[in-house]
Amino acid sequence: MPQMPRREIRAAEEFRGASRLPSEEFRREIGRVGMLAVAALVLIGIGPWALGQYSVDILIRSFLYGAIAVTLDILWGYTGILSFGQSAFFVIGAYACGLTFVHIGLTPFTALGALVGGVAVAALVGALVGWLAFGYGVPALYISIATLVLCVVMVQVLYSGGVYTGSSSGLSGFDTFDVSMAGWFWIAGAALVLVVALGWILVRSDAGRLLVSIRENEQRCKYFGLATGRIKMQLLAGSAIVAALAGYAYAGYTDVVAPDLGGFQFGTELVIWVALGGRGTLLGPACAAVLIDFVSAYLSGSLPFVWQLIVGVVFIAVIVVMPRGLGPALASPVRRAWRRKAPARPVTARLRPAEERNAAAEPAFGGGPTAIEITHLSRRYGSLHVLEDISFSARGGELVSLVGPNGAGKTTLIRCISDGRERTSGRVAIEGHGIGRSAPEYCARLGLGRKFQTPNVFEALTVAESLRIARARIERPSFWRCDDAIRLPEAAMQVVRTTGLAEQLATRVRHLSHGGKQALELAMVLATEPRVLLLDEPTAGLTKPERTVIGKVLVDLVQRHGLCVLLVEHDLEFVREISSRIIVLHQGRIVLDGNVEDVVSSELVRTIYVGEPQAIGEEAG
Amino acid sequence: MTSLLLDIVTTAGILFAVSVGLLIVFGVQKIINFAHGAFLTIGGYTSLVVTHFHLDPWLAEPLALISGAVFGAAVERIIVRPLYRRPLDAILATWGLAIVVVQLITIGFGRGVQFVQSPVAGATRVLGTDYSLYRLIFLAIAIAIGIAIAAALQGTRLGLVARAVIMNEDLARGLGINSDLVRFATFSVGAGLASLAGALLTPLLSVDPIMGVPWLLNAFMLVMVSGTSLVSLALACLVLGGAQVVVSSYGSPVLGGLTIVVLAAIVLRVRPAGFARA
Repeated sequence: MPQMPRREIRAAEEFRGASRLPSEEFRREIGRVGMLAVAALVLIGIGPWALGQYSVDILIRSFLYGAIAVTLDILWGYTGILSFGQSAFFVIGAYACGLTFVHIGLTPFTALGALVGGVAVAALVGALVGWLAFGYGVPALYISIATLVLCVVMVQVLYSGGVYTGSSSGLSGFDTFDVSMAGWFWIAGAALVLVVALGWILVRSDAGRLLVSIRENEQRCKYFGLATGRIKMQLLAGSAIVAALAGYAYAGYTDVVAPDLGGFQFGTELVIWVALGGRGTLLGPACAAVLIDFVSAYLSGSLPFVWQLIVGVVFIAVIVVMPRGLGPALASPVRRAWRRKAPARPVTARLRPAEERNAAAEPAFGGGPTAIEITHLSRRYGSLHVLEDISFSARGGELVSLVGPNGAGKTTLIRCISDGRERTSGRVAIEGHGIGRSAPEYCARLGLGRKFQTPNVFEALTVAESLRIARARIERPSFWRCDDAIRLPEAAMQVVRTTGLAEQLATRVRHLSHGGKQALELAMVLATEPRVLLLDEPTAGLTKPERTVIGKVLVDLVQRHGLCVLLVEHDLEFVREISSRIIVLHQGRIVLDGNVEDVVSSELVRTIYVGEPQAIGEEAG
Repeated sequence: MTSLLLDIVTTAGILFAVSVGLLIVFGVQKIINFAHGAFLTIGGYTSLVVTHFHLDPWLAEPLALISGAVFGAAVERIIVRPLYRRPLDAILATWGLAIVVVQLITIGFGRGVQFVQSPVAGATRVLGTDYSLYRLIFLAIAIAIGIAIAAALQGTRLGLVARAVIMNEDLARGLGINSDLVRFATFSVGAGLASLAGALLTPLLSVDPIMGVPWLLNAFMLVMVSGTSLVSLALACLVLGGAQVVVSSYGSPVLGGLTIVVLAAIVLRVRPAGFARA
């Protein structure tokens, strides 16, 4: 990169030497978790001999609850989906076992059938709830409401099943597996270890970062073309499967199923365990679930109501005083003592050039194929017409600036282009494909990139992780590995290098300056390899030198890479320097569309900006 | 037919009285108070205490209002205030509080179902049919509560300030409004109203430590579909409560018990604004 001074290159090289690769870190942690898992398995192995029969009996149940708590942690702690309904999936698995063994009987075939059936029903219900809750425009809180309702409905269905489901007393005393208590202890314990280990690999993998990015900023993910609704739906269905398996084992072991296992009280108890153990730590919720359930069983005999009271009070105190939960609060001093020697070197992936997927840039300035075509677009809010009869088209290699005073409808137009449900009427086509009524993620897949007006980034991720999320639709992130390379197309690479982000790959985004965030968002959008780029005031709040850099990058994108850029900007000087064409919007209509000189020298533009409305009617009319 | 219509309007009145406290807390604090059911239970037990000491049954309501408001004020200070910026955590903490209240009541009063003396008994003749007098009185009280709150919001200085905080808290603070005080007052009033509703319910229902749970669920769903408007809440209570009565009468009581939560969930999915600005 010619723009990059030699000094900076050296700084970047030194920085790379000092940082560790994600795969190294991942392998190290796998080793650590592997050791932990082996230790846990050994303890579970000797458990039945070391513990009394009552403890073993209780712990089998506690282990199963622990496994559900882990899946809830992945849903809530990592992805931000607060589900009160994991108990409903648990009860589906439990009744699949109970109903089959009571009404059909126990054979290897029916046992397997019940298992498959229970898991399938739970996954289906999970997917259905997910489909309802993660659809376009459904508020984020809806999943909590829907899962709450699911529990209430589930319990009532089981209550009203009469003799068939045993109504309020449930089913008990059916033939069940001929497995010893120690055997169940090993099964449940190993299952918990397995769930924690698999969950751990998932959340530390590249796909796990994607889950966190959904929690942090789902809108940004959608505009990268990531179908977050579908990902969340699959995740909910997956967690439903684990919960149903736990329910099946629970019924198989205890020989009792009751409707209250599916109630929202139990669902909420699971949420409490996760919050107490520490959201987003996996191990914390697993330990909290096992410990609290185990101690509850012991103390509920001697201190029946007082124990519940203590749990309630501790829970409130933890939520208020330790928002991250007890686990992290207890673990962090230990960890600090462990790592006091030297501060850990930052972990970051390396930047690599991506193979360009798109055809080579069109050489001619403004001579490419039609990239975006808008015909008779309008947007009304009731009787208020924000956009009226907007028609224009732009080719690859054109940098079209949209200017106009506040309230002219510029941002609304950007929104109508990038979200199929926004416009009232008219047509928008990206590279010849109409966007129809598609949600933003599907519009983005047609080759549209949108940079928002205020920096729209993932505050909790690092710069490198953010760039990987932006690439996630093109390069599917792995569920069990960390990639050491982030492959960026040339344009994104150029932004990252010229704005100094390349030296800050391991920096958390929340620590970047405003300009750094703006540049990062632009780099992320370019990493998605868009053909049409929508930029809403990309230089707002930037310093003069930063503006100049961004301006150069934009001109380069258009001239060398043949992108079509649609730029909303207030700074006419900036617009004049870099645009190939200017469209003037005023009161929701296009009043002027022409080359830079014509527009800038036009009397009309001056009138609009200085504000003499009566003159506009005459000239436009 | 007349008695069905009366069932519908009185049910709507009961639901409105139960939900309105949750609605004003949600409107001002933007948090969902999952201890609402616990406050309601406190009201129920207040009237049990009144019965126990052979006091005038009508004393239960004011006493419940006061005890709920005092307890709510304490809860706001200790638990809810630190969680203003964390609305999801506020849901969880108030649910934890509900657990604590249920356990305390169980320790104090036992788990069993208990009954409360009714201030009025019997039926009265309305529109050509005999109907429970108490339910009609309940409806009148619910309407009075609604009018009182609307009048307070529209006609008093606190109401004006509360509306400002509901619409734009940051701006209200910028204008020198002490929004902490507004939050404190509304939470206390909301808790008092829940408790009042609990006391009002006791002549119709028995009292037990978890009596608040089903009411919490219904109130929560009704508030979700109503946004922050009293009128929408009244409409939602009438429509969904009416559906509940119809389903219970012509279908089964089990389905009736599910009607509000299921219908509200459907309404919210189809139209996230629910009954607001309908």
